[in-house]
Amino acid sequence: MHGARRTRQTPEAIAARKQREQSKLKDYLSLTEDVIARRKKSDWSKDSFDLTTRVLQINPEFYTVWNYRRNIMSYGLFVESSPESINDLLSDDLSMTTMALKAHPKVYWIWNHRRWCLENVPDGPGDSHDWKKANWNRELAVVEKMLDADARNFHAWNYRRYVLANMPERRPEAAELAYTTRKIEANFSNFSAWHQRSKVYTSLWESGQLNREKSIRDELELVKNAMYTDPNDQSAWLYHRWLIGSGNDREILESEITAIEELLEEQPDSKWCIESLVHYKRLLIKNHSAEFGAEQTKGLLSQCVSFLLQLQTLDPPRRNMYQDIVDTLSAT
Amino acid sequence: MAASETQLYVDKHVAYIKSLGDNKDDLTYHMTAHLRMNAIYWGLTALCIMGHKEALDREEMIDFVMSCWDDEAGGFGAHPDHDAHLLATTSAIQILVTHDALDRVDKARVARLVILSLQQPSGVFAGDSFGEIDTRFSYCAVNSLSLLGCLSDLDVEKTVSYIRACRNYDGGFGNCIGAETHAGQVFVCVAALAILDRLDEVDHETLGWWLAERQLPNGGLNGRPEKLEDVCYSFWCLSAMSILDKLSWIDSDKLISFVLSAQDSEGGGIADRPGDMVDVFHTHFGIAGLSLLGYPGLIDLDPVYCMPAHIIEAMGLRKGWKALPRRKT
Repeated sequence: MHGARRTRQTPEAIAARKQREQSKLKDYLSLTEDVIARRKKSDWSKDSFDLTTRVLQINPEFYTVWNYRRNIMSYGLFVESSPESINDLLSDDLSMTTMALKAHPKVYWIWNHRRWCLENVPDGPGDSHDWKKANWNRELAVVEKMLDADARNFHAWNYRRYVLANMPERRPEAAELAYTTRKIEANFSNFSAWHQRSKVYTSLWESGQLNREKSIRDELELVKNAMYTDPNDQSAWLYHRWLIGSGNDREILESEITAIEELLEEQPDSKWCIESLVHYKRLLIKNHSAEFGAEQTKGLLSQCVSFLLQLQTLDPPRRNMYQDIVDTLSAT
Repeated sequence: MAASETQLYVDKHVAYIKSLGDNKDDLTYHMTAHLRMNAIYWGLTALCIMGHKEALDREEMIDFVMSCWDDEAGGFGAHPDHDAHLLATTSAIQILVTHDALDRVDKARVARLVILSLQQPSGVFAGDSFGEIDTRFSYCAVNSLSLLGCLSDLDVEKTVSYIRACRNYDGGFGNCIGAETHAGQVFVCVAALAILDRLDEVDHETLGWWLAERQLPNGGLNGRPEKLEDVCYSFWCLSAMSILDKLSWIDSDKLISFVLSAQDSEGGGIADRPGDMVDVFHTHFGIAGLSLLGYPGLIDLDPVYCMPAHIIEAMGLRKGWKALPRRKT
C-alpha cells in the first residue's frame, strides 16, 4: 500500500464496510470464477474476451487474465479476422490500456501488454506499414503524457526507450536530447531525465553524430546552472560525475575543480561541493600525479583529508564512509 | 504511532501476519490473489526472523504451495489456477526450502525445463513465456537454481554479461539495458552476482557511496536520487550494503527509528512510511532490514537469499556478507 494513509476503524465500521462490499465481492468472485473456468476450457470466444475486459478494468494486476486475453486474440479472434480487424482490435486494446495506465501508472502488466499489442500490429493497409507507424507514433504521445503526470515514473522511461528503439520510423536522437532538455528545464531535480540524457549522448558519440569533447563542454555549462540553482540537489552532481568520468582530461578536471571551489566560497557548507572536490582531486592524483610530482600530490592528498574530516562534521550519518576514505588515502 | 516508537511490536506483527488469511470476506483479499504466493513468502520469512515460524501451519502452507503448481506450463502460479510465473516460482521454492520440503518438487524438471528455458539469447531471464524481461527475473532464476542445487546447469558468463550491461556510471544497476539505477534492481543484481561469485563486476566504492546517499535526514532510505523514503528500501539498500560490507556507511540508529515509526502499534504490521496503511510486503522488508541492522532479539537474515541465515548456512550456500552485530538491548 504505497502512500495510502492509515485510518483507525472501529470493528463496527469495518463490519459496515464489509457489508457494503458484499455485493461487489460476490460479483467479482463470480466474474473471475467464470473467466478462469472458460480459460481452462480454452474458450477463445469474443464473449470471453469481453469478460476479460471487465475483470481487468476492476483488477489490472490479474496477470493470468492478461495472458488469457492475449491467447484469446492469438488463437481465437485473430484466426478469422482480416488484417484490418486485427489492427482495429489491437488499437482498441491500446486505448483500453491507456485508460488503465492513467489510474494505475506503475502496474508492470499493463505496460507489458502494450508492448505485446504493438509488436502484433499487422503490416498494411495494402503494402504499406501505415498501421504500424500510426500505432507506434501514438505511443510516444502517450508516454509523454505519463511523464507529464509523473516525471520520475521509471516504467514510463523504460517504455519510452523501448518505443524509441523499436518504432518503424525512428526519430533522430537529437530530438530526444531536446526532450530531456525540456524535462530538465522544467525541473533540475529530475534525475531520470539527466540519466536519459547520458544514454542519448553516449549513443550520439558512438555513432559519430556529435563530437564528444564539444558536447562535454556544453553540458558542463548546463549542469553548472543546475548546481548553482540548488547546490544540495544530487541530480546535477551525479550527472557532473558522469561528464568527468574517469578524469583523463586534466584540463577539464582542473577547470571544474576551480569552478566548484568558486561555488564553495559562496556556499561554504555545501556537502556536495566538498564531496565532489574530494572525488575530483582523487582523480587528479590517480591519473596525473606523474605529471606534477610528489610535492603537489602530497598537497592534494592533505586537502582531501581535511575535506573528509570536514564532511564528517557536516554529514554525520555518513561519517564512517568518509573515515574509510581517509584510511584508504593514508594507506597510499 | 509517531517517530517516538522505540520498540518492535513483535507480538502485534505476528498476530497481524496470522490474521491475513482470515479476511476471506474482504474484497482486498481477493483483489490481491495474484500476489498470494509472494505474500506467504513475505509473511513466513518475517515470522522466522521474529522467531515465530510456528505461527502459520506448516502442512497447510506446503499444501497451498503445491496446489499452485501449473503442470501445463511447469512452474508455480501465485494462486491455484493462476498461470506459472518466475516470481511465484521463486517464492514457492523459498517457502519449501524454509519448511525443509523441497522433496515435494521435481528439482531437475523445475531447473531445466522451467527456469533455464526462460533465459533469453541476451542472457537476461523472462518472467514467463510471454517474454517480459527484467534483471529481477535474472535474480529469481539464479536464486532458485542455487536453492535447487542446479546452478551448474546455468551459463554463468551469459547471465553475468547481461547484468554487466545494466550497470550505470553511478555504480548501480537498472532493470534492463539503458535503465536508470534503482535500489531494488541494485539488490537483485548484486545478490545474483554474489551467488555467482562474481562481485568483481561491482565497483564497490562507487556503489557503496550511491547506496549511502539514499539515507535522508529523517533516517529513512529512498530508492533513487531525489525521491521519498520508503521502508522497503531499508532491505533493498541494506542487502547490497551488507554484501559489500558497507553497512557502517549510514546511520543505523536513525534508520531503525524510521522503520519503527512506520509500525502500526495497535493493529500490527509496518507501512511504507509513518501513518500509512500497513501491508505484509513492508512488514517483511522492514523486519528484514532491522535484522541486518542488528536489532535485538531478531534472527539473522541472509541478505543474498532474503531467507533465514541458518537455513542458507546449513545448505552450504552462505556468501561473504556482513550484517551489523546483534545488539543486546
